[in-house]
Amino acid sequence: MTMHFGYRALRWAALSGLVSLGLMVWGVLDPHPIALVIAMSAGQALGTLSFLVFLLVVLDDLRKAQVFSRTARRSDPPRPEPGRQD
Amino acid sequence: MASIAIVCSLVAAALLAWFYLRRPELTGQVKFLLLLGFGVFPIGAATTGNVAGFEHTKHRSFCGSCHVMTPYLLDSDDPASHTLAAAHARNEAFGRDSCYECHQDYGAFSTVMTKIGGMKHVYHYYTHYRNVDVRTAVFEIDLYKPMANASCMRCHSTQVGSWLAVGDHRSALEALRSGEVGCASVGCHGPSHPFSKPKRKPGAEVAP
Repeated sequence: MTMHFGYRALRWAALSGLVSLGLMVWGVLDPHPIALVIAMSAGQALGTLSFLVFLLVVLDDLRKAQVFSRTARRSDPPRPEPGRQD
Repeated sequence: MASIAIVCSLVAAALLAWFYLRRPELTGQVKFLLLLGFGVFPIGAATTGNVAGFEHTKHRSFCGSCHVMTPYLLDSDDPASHTLAAAHARNEAFGRDSCYECHQDYGAFSTVMTKIGGMKHVYHYYTHYRNVDVRTAVFEIDLYKPMANASCMRCHSTQVGSWLAVGDHRSALEALRSGEVGCASVGCHGPSHPFSKPKRKPGAEVAP
């Protein structure tokens, strides 16, 4: 995932997040059956999708910055000295 | 709850709109703001919005929002009506939610199970009853299963002296508790919404 692609995905996710928030507010302000069903299904599904895209972009950023590999290297157990037997 | 949902939505929307329109560079600070805009505030809005939504679906006005429920709503709202449903709708403790209080399922997940059942109503409404006139619908619509005595016994515990003072209650106590004899519908108190049922046989008695 390139930075450019990630940024574009985030912008789309922001747009979809705005739509999902609009649907959720519609369900709260005008709580008739269809509004509530749409708010609690499509609204929340879009919101969840946006959040997942955000998490993926952040995770990809962290992976590129080698945050995970550095952490893994630090947490490796110390190697035994050659020739030493406990 | 509704106001918390709206405030959370507005804050999240402001953050997302700012990111979409201003296109800031993805620094750590921007990512933190986006975490609030994509995650924290929308989750707050969804949670409180769901609670507010579920609470609203318990109101009688919500049940009456489909046109086929109009006769039931009008009867329950009528202060002069003597039907069981209207008598319960006048109860100060739960009258505003009287449909839900009597028709809800029981158990640990009662609200959720009742609302899942309610989804079936929405489906049937939009696939069939939407274009059915009220006069026809009122005789077509029926419960999925007979009204259980447990619905009545949630409030009328069958253990209070004034209730036991009624001879018929006392004599049919075990049968009532086990559900062998019904309270409403075919039972002594008759249907809760009598206008929606075929007329009873002449001479059949209905308890007050």
